Amino acid sequence: MLASLSKYLRMFGHLARYTLTRELSMRGNFLVKVSVEVIWLGIMVAFYRTVFARTSYVASWSESEYFFFVGCYFALNGLIETLFLENCNEFAELVRTGDLDFLLLRPIDEQFLISFRRVDWGTFPNILMGAVLMGIALVQKGWTFDPARVAAFFVTFAAGTVIAYSCMLVLTSLSVWLVRNQSLMEMWWLFTSLARYPREIYKGPWAAALGDVFTFLIPILLVSNVPANVMVRVLDPAMVALTVVSSILLLWFSRAFFQHALRSYRSASS
Amino acid sequence: MTPPDAPAATADPAPMPDATVTDPDAVSAPPRRGPAAAVRKYARILRVSLVERMTYRADFLIGTVLRFLPLITTILLWRAIYEGAGRDNLAGYKYREMIAYLLLTNISRMFSSMPGLAAGIAREVREGTLKRYLIQPVDMIGYLLSYRVAHKLAYITMSFLPYGLLFYICRGYFDGFPGPATMLAYLASLVLAFLVGFYFEAAVGMVGFWFLEVTSLLYIVMTLNFFISGHMLPLDLLPQPWAGILKALPFQYMAYFPAVVFLRKVTGWELASHLLLELAWAVGFMLLCRALYRMGLRRYSAYGG
Repeated sequence: MLASLSKYLRMFGHLARYTLTRELSMRGNFLVKVSVEVIWLGIMVAFYRTVFARTSYVASWSESEYFFFVGCYFALNGLIETLFLENCNEFAELVRTGDLDFLLLRPIDEQFLISFRRVDWGTFPNILMGAVLMGIALVQKGWTFDPARVAAFFVTFAAGTVIAYSCMLVLTSLSVWLVRNQSLMEMWWLFTSLARYPREIYKGPWAAALGDVFTFLIPILLVSNVPANVMVRVLDPAMVALTVVSSILLLWFSRAFFQHALRSYRSASS
Repeated sequence: MTPPDAPAATADPAPMPDATVTDPDAVSAPPRRGPAAAVRKYARILRVSLVERMTYRADFLIGTVLRFLPLITTILLWRAIYEGAGRDNLAGYKYREMIAYLLLTNISRMFSSMPGLAAGIAREVREGTLKRYLIQPVDMIGYLLSYRVAHKLAYITMSFLPYGLLFYICRGYFDGFPGPATMLAYLASLVLAFLVGFYFEAAVGMVGFWFLEVTSLLYIVMTLNFFISGHMLPLDLLPQPWAGILKALPFQYMAYFPAVVFLRKVTGWELASHLLLELAWAVGFMLLCRALYRMGLRRYSAYGG
């Protein structure tokens, strides 16, 4: 078990180094990719500055708390994009062309190879930018250091990443049946619009029900909400436990679903 | 993560114009000339593109359903913002008007967004496939325009039911339909939004003659456009001078302007002059696009054999 874990870790290290070399051979492109993300973060900040110029609270989040949430979402999404988005996005094309055969033949875990083949270093700085935004928000809030909160933040941040990855893997697996999946990038963008705002906006009869569905059934609302909450608002152990348990269950489910999808793969083109 | 309009990865490569050649009639017939033949030619491109669009229906439907999620979360977010502010008027927009505005910008973008257009043109230049427009009696910009009209027609027809349902559910946010004159101006602003969007993005794609790789430039332009076109919030909410500057730029016609026309926030002479200005921008971008194309062709060296 430990030996195979270290084998996979080593392999991931090699893949990451290989993609970094490739990325750095096209530095101009890399710089443009990063500047697009900087512009996008700038737009988000401009948007919420405009909003908070006219109100002091949005769904009971103050400005500094809200910006911590935005930073947390940006960093978490950056991590997901760096590790998985590009890989999962290519999966539909592998199915359509039948090139998936070549990956299935390799003597390692299919899910590992499909999920981690490339590291998209262009979105890696997003994690740092998100962290900077979180740092600024903490200073503005006058936050005092609390090791329990920091620990809970890192645990739920990791669990949130696992939840988001599992949701993405399920969306990706669908392309085995759909053959041409609309670009997963777009599907993912639409789907993550659920995680982009605080859970407290889901108020009112139907919205509360919707919020519950996306908290307990498809727990995408736990992804950036819980880490941001435990850090700057309420440290609720029940929510931390829920997030961790959800991440484990969902990871198990998404793996089963992915393997079920692979069994339906018919290698159309060869 | 940038919005979906930005990634050129969603680009559908335009099919080869010689897809139309599968029609035996077209193979054997001698080249016909005259306006009627030209209309027939582009009408046929339109038909082929329509058929192509309808091939993956399940995929299309899932995409349409997912597309409603951001609308729901946007409505909830703005409700929270108005509740937080504790008043029902932000920069002249009541809560209902704000939601109506944000719903309407989706209609505007349905007309003005051109996923993959510029990237497609740049790819044709880079890979040398552009030469097929030079040896066949078909004009590239004309071809792309009719292809795009077909896509928009298919998309708008397919989305008519879900969008109709959405607007029916959200009818409480609207004060009914505006009068026929406003409705006519609204339609005109949408058609012009399509033209401004098309020629603007085509002109960006023409830059590919000079820089073989434009996707990066495109990402930046499209990401900025998402904000400065007023897709995220009404430009009136921004502090001065930003609101004034953005309202003087052509990007507002791709999202902001049609929406405020429908909401009757622009009326009378102001409306007429803005429509004329929108037309001027459409014509301006068309001329720019044509000029860049002509200049680009002089540099073009048909790589790729």
